[in-house]
Amino acid sequence: MPSLARYIRGIRAVGIKEWWHQMQYIGDVKAGTFVGSDQFGNRYFENLNAEQEVPGRHRWVDFAQHDLNASQVPAEWHAWLSHIRKDAPPQDVMMQSSTPSWKAPWVENLTGTRGAYRPYNTVKPKIEAWQPKAAPRTAPS
Amino acid sequence: MTMSSTINMVLARRPPLGLATRLLLSPNTSTPPISLVVRRHLSTSRRALQAQPAHNHGHDHVKSPQLGTGKYVNPYEGGPSALEKAAHLFFFTEIVRGMWLVLEQFFRPPYTIMYPFEKGPLSPRFRGEHALRRYPSGEERCIACKLCEAICPAQAITIESEARLDGSRRTTKYDIDMTKCIYCGFCQEACPVDAIVETQNQEFSTETREELLYNKEKLLANGDRAEAEVAANLHADHPYR
Repeated sequence: MPSLARYIRGIRAVGIKEWWHQMQYIGDVKAGTFVGSDQFGNRYFENLNAEQEVPGRHRWVDFAQHDLNASQVPAEWHAWLSHIRKDAPPQDVMMQSSTPSWKAPWVENLTGTRGAYRPYNTVKPKIEAWQPKAAPRTAPS
Repeated sequence: MTMSSTINMVLARRPPLGLATRLLLSPNTSTPPISLVVRRHLSTSRRALQAQPAHNHGHDHVKSPQLGTGKYVNPYEGGPSALEKAAHLFFFTEIVRGMWLVLEQFFRPPYTIMYPFEKGPLSPRFRGEHALRRYPSGEERCIACKLCEAICPAQAITIESEARLDGSRRTTKYDIDMTKCIYCGFCQEACPVDAIVETQNQEFSTETREELLYNKEKLLANGDRAEAEVAANLHADHPYR
């Protein structure tokens, strides 16, 4: 439950540096156990104590980038962060066993940048412009 | 009807006198903390209302007259008197109770979820951005049966197919117009090989409209990125399918 006591307890738990960092991004002091980090350096935390965190706010991510974006969370951690999966991906047996060898690297939503997706046709176009074919002109004999 | 009982009905469901008697009667026994008692007696909101029996409401006392007995039954017997109802009417007690409810919510902690850092719960059946899946060998699943195209209520799917060199039929064009799609999930239910699925990704908003016209390459790329999550969610849901 948000209160002054919780705020001060959070500062004592995470330290001044982490408190300043969290106030710049989450805007709140959240102390919890470090669950893991993904390949981009995003850190994931959890606090299951209902006295310290409101249930529903008990899982959170600390983004690695300053220009943060919800799509920077890869799919496996997205499932954990959205409370779809109980266990974090490193401990999730089903998630590990269903990861294929041909898994593509995760890219965030690149809209508005030069890497944005542009649609294109994957088949030959049905209608083609008329290409006139003229017989070669021969000189009259 | 005395004035004090009227005021009791006005202010709270339980009389404030009860607070005093409870505190006087049991000073030494295990009383709950004073803040808890005060909150329980002052709170009139939904949580407190549900903890109380429902026969506090006045209209529950109104009996329906029994037929066939021949005896007159006063339907308002035992209910609030006309004076009491008039007091509620003229003292605007409903407005006061409503404002008290607002005041209570003002002092309650907020339940705001700080979105990009924390997220609300999603179901494994959540229907978000589409993806085309592959078999574990890497072979694409879609066999161009066009059932999804047929069942799509928004007609957002366009499929063209061709036989490959090894003789298997595959799609050459699999376009989904995400601006037409209504995310009903019929395509993934119609699919016989679990090729087209709706992933749990909902953060695919774009700046331009044309970026939402997905083609086959984009859908396959979505599936290649999110295959682990999709497979895990399908496994979590398979006892119910």
